[in-house]
Amino acid sequence: MEEGENMSEEYNIPEGLLYTEEHEWARLESDGTVTVGVTDYAQKQLHDIVYVELPGVGDDAELGAVIGALESVKAVSDMNSPVGGSLTEVNEELLDSPEFINESPYGEGWIAKLKPSDWEGDKVHLMDAGAYVKRVAEQSH
Amino acid sequence: MGSEDLVLELMKTHVYAYHEGHGKIVDFGGWAMPVWYEGIIAEHNAVRNGVGIFDTSHMGRAVAKGPDVEKYVNRVVTNDVSRLEPTQGLYALMLRPHAGIVDDLITYNMGDDEFFIVYNAANREKDFNWLMENSGGFDVELTDVSDVMAMIAVQGPEAVETLQKITEEDVSEVERFSIAKITVSGLKCMAARTGYTGEDGFEVFVLDCPVEEPVKALKVWNDLVEAGAVPCGLGARDSLRLEAGLNLYGSDIGETTNPLEARLRWAVKFKKEGGFIGMEALQKARKDGIKRSQVGIRMVGRGLPRSHYEILDGDGDKVLGEVTSGGLGPTLGYGIAIGYVPMEYRKLGTPVMIRIRKRLVEGKIVKSHPFYDDSVYGWKRVRT
Repeated sequence: MEEGENMSEEYNIPEGLLYTEEHEWARLESDGTVTVGVTDYAQKQLHDIVYVELPGVGDDAELGAVIGALESVKAVSDMNSPVGGSLTEVNEELLDSPEFINESPYGEGWIAKLKPSDWEGDKVHLMDAGAYVKRVAEQSH
Repeated sequence: MGSEDLVLELMKTHVYAYHEGHGKIVDFGGWAMPVWYEGIIAEHNAVRNGVGIFDTSHMGRAVAKGPDVEKYVNRVVTNDVSRLEPTQGLYALMLRPHAGIVDDLITYNMGDDEFFIVYNAANREKDFNWLMENSGGFDVELTDVSDVMAMIAVQGPEAVETLQKITEEDVSEVERFSIAKITVSGLKCMAARTGYTGEDGFEVFVLDCPVEEPVKALKVWNDLVEAGAVPCGLGARDSLRLEAGLNLYGSDIGETTNPLEARLRWAVKFKKEGGFIGMEALQKARKDGIKRSQVGIRMVGRGLPRSHYEILDGDGDKVLGEVTSGGLGPTLGYGIAIGYVPMEYRKLGTPVMIRIRKRLVEGKIVKSHPFYDDSVYGWKRVRT
């Protein structure tokens, strides 16, 4: 994986991404946009994702705002935005293939791209991979 | 509290040793039960297309015995057990005097003045107490046998051939809703041709198997796995019963629903001798006119209906009721729900809206018992 080594034995938590307490990830792209999605831990907890509700392109999202929902057979889980900004793109492939999130949470299973309004400011609220590995370890044991 | 401490507090069934090593364990009404092993969708499909097994040992089981047993059971349940020959069973309800539903259950005439009653796990104590409370005046003795036998459901179009591999008697001779004494894995069992999935199959009771010494139950379970059955958790149990349109007690029916609005009229026999507890209130409700009806809804727009979501009329102007259970029908590929609406909205094809988070999503009233085409899926299908 190009982002670096895996640091958790149970879950794939790549370096180079930033993470939230609610198990979303954010990745700053070279064009200045931020791609967001949910983590390997989140998809494993939900299991078999069967339905995804996506935000609308052009919508504004505040840091932590609900921008979508992921549903398994049993449960519904909100997707919160790890950064504030305006939505420039959503992964419409997920409408027909929600299983991409299970199969590749950091790749084909990305959820949306945002033009961040204050990336440097929002970053402070996010964890790096090392801190997130510890957070997941606390939750699962 | 850590998850391991939590599991310590929970009750465990005979088959827990297997679940612990293979499944994702959740707290299900105080029971440590597997929600899935490999995944809900895979397990759901195994039952619709092949064969799956479920540990249902947490369910309640009681034996009623004595010269008055038939009269007694007929008094506490809504259906008419006087028409049962020994080995035959039927679905019935127990009602409060005000006609709210205590529980739904299956009861079997075992012959020799003995009836066997199987009811919901969440109501084990409540039901047994209710059975005891209402036994006054009848020469009948009640025994809670939940902890001295295990219960494993074998479900799916391949259930017969799979159970047959480890059974001495011919299991295909057990008729639907009948029960037979059989020998499974060399052990004394009973098998009823029943289930909660819509499919053909059996509920196997492993006898003389106290929960403290679960060896026999584990033997039957492991032999079934060996014979090709796919272990299934509560997740698939729920999605299968939803597609079959079967009620979940505590969600779709309960103390505040009566059998007529729940479309369970067929399980109520008003004319039987001696009547039943709750009959007068139910007759009055019928005379006064039933105000709402349970319905099945399928989604037309994108979205999955969940319990407690609002059901609105087709214009989205008026709230009609709420979803009592819903989700994806994995076999169908779209969202389905059970819920209640006023009588005038219950007709098949009536458009409705479901409030899913902030959106109103289009749905319609459909046939729901079952939701799927029963010439293609379910126990009525003709296998070629």
